[in-house]
Amino acid sequence: MVVVLYMGLFAMSFDFVSGYTGYLSFGHAAFYGTGAYFVVLAANGQVPGIPGGTPFMITLVLGAVLAGLLALVIGSVSFRLTGVYFAMITLGFAQVIYELIRSWGYVSTNPTEGATVSGDALAIGVPYVDALSLDVGRLTGESVENLLGLGIDLSATVVSYYALGIVVVVCYFAMQRIVHSPFGRVMIAIRENEERARAVGYATYRFKLAAFAVSGFFGAIAGGIFAAYSRSVAPDGTFYFLVTADALITTIVGGFGTLAGPIYGTLFNQGLEDVLSTESGGIATLLREGLPASALEADLFGVSLELFVNTAVDGRAPLYLGIVFVLFVLFVPNGILGTLRDRLGGTVGKRLPDHLRRYLR
Amino acid sequence: MTALELDGVHTYYGESHILQGLSLSVEAGEIVALVGRNGVGKTTTLRTALGLTPPREGTVRFDGTDVTGMEPHEIAARGMGWVPEERRVFSHLTVAENLRVAAHSAADPDARIAEAYELFPALDRFADKEAGDLSGGQQQMLAIARGMVGDNDLLLVDEPSEGLAPQIVEDVVEALRAASADTTMVLVEQNFRLAMDLADRFYLVDHGVVVEEGETAGVTSDDERIRRYLTA
Repeated sequence: MVVVLYMGLFAMSFDFVSGYTGYLSFGHAAFYGTGAYFVVLAANGQVPGIPGGTPFMITLVLGAVLAGLLALVIGSVSFRLTGVYFAMITLGFAQVIYELIRSWGYVSTNPTEGATVSGDALAIGVPYVDALSLDVGRLTGESVENLLGLGIDLSATVVSYYALGIVVVVCYFAMQRIVHSPFGRVMIAIRENEERARAVGYATYRFKLAAFAVSGFFGAIAGGIFAAYSRSVAPDGTFYFLVTADALITTIVGGFGTLAGPIYGTLFNQGLEDVLSTESGGIATLLREGLPASALEADLFGVSLELFVNTAVDGRAPLYLGIVFVLFVLFVPNGILGTLRDRLGGTVGKRLPDHLRRYLR
Repeated sequence: MTALELDGVHTYYGESHILQGLSLSVEAGEIVALVGRNGVGKTTTLRTALGLTPPREGTVRFDGTDVTGMEPHEIAARGMGWVPEERRVFSHLTVAENLRVAAHSAADPDARIAEAYELFPALDRFADKEAGDLSGGQQQMLAIARGMVGDNDLLLVDEPSEGLAPQIVEDVVEALRAASADTTMVLVEQNFRLAMDLADRFYLVDHGVVVEEGETAGVTSDDERIRRYLTA
């Protein structure tokens, strides 16, 4: 579930610029990777001017600021183009950075494999106040026993989940505040008709650039919390264009231009991956263990059920995600949340209570 | 005082030479209609004035300042508003948000928006409705209101009656009359009678140049000098 948090936040940052200004940022992985690498390198004392042991919350923000500046540089060139050309040039920038990182020996002795945090676990909370900070990490995170005297024990993974979740929620509300501000209205005006927005008196180039920088900032926060949790980064899991593709798919499934939609999209995709996983909770394992041998040997269009499960179900999430993606584009173009809002006639928070009240009456 | 002056303007779309040395001037406070057949360059004239399609030759002066080559947002910030054809509103913004976006340059946005609501009560009723959900006539009202709320000295209005039912057109005409009370207006309109009814003066455009001009009083489409440029 932790993956839903950082990938969801990354997809939200993608939606912030792509869904609200209409400019598809195909190179968004550059910001995710910048945040992730910055956090790891800072933790290892490899960032000049930032001593090792600097609290994670500080390096997280510094990495995000760096990504915001990178977005300004990439955007200053890319926003001279529109449509598919904008998408392609941002992709090009990200791929150049990806190749640089893969061969940058300063990162580690084997930059193709990335880098690992060598020191203590990274903590989320108030910098320099141990009592108000919690270590996060898949294996190195902090567990909590007898929470507030209620007899509740929280494992390290659960503590990480809530700590990272707080960061994601704060980022979500910050972005939501922006899209509902006058600045956000101009972003939507640019998406609807940029020429008209210029004719109304807006220097749209500056607005797009600012939106891109904000989006890069939050994309880097996502990368940073991913790095803190996994304690290692690799070019393929951060800067590679398929990381952006993941955000694109989850945004389309969740709903373009909805901000919260990408979280639902990530949840949906992750749920599908978990169901079709080769791990013990996956449906393939359940079928193999739950069905009698005779059923597994039963003929199914010329192949046994077991062979079918092994071939077409076990670990085949990418195949079905592709099909789901095509179905969403064709039949649910507004995504889960977009469609829900259309049906309810407004945002879920505002309209759902009315609908429920009417239904219950 | 001259509000808008185009002098020997040549404008192209790619290699297509649309405005071929067009010149016109609009005095402050008047309504000037641009009439002519489809495709002769009327809309391009408005786009050129606003800097959306900059001219390759010639000059555009707005309130005495040479604005040729300026960015559209710079020209708009000087007080030139645009009511585009086909009622193009920001369809996913609410009515109120459409007006708020357009009123950013006004000295007192709230007062300007209140005036717009007073003039167009239907917009006030649908303030929280997405603009894309309004009827065609309401969207046209919103497009006009959006042009008015920005403290504009000059309003460029493109085909305001296009695709609207006759009853709605009457409402739009009334709205434009109200808007022109404190704003100079350049009106592009296919409906010749309506254009002559609204405007003080007219320019007849053909093949990217002005071929006739004058007062609108008494002019009809049966006038021989007009008819030969309006019929195919």
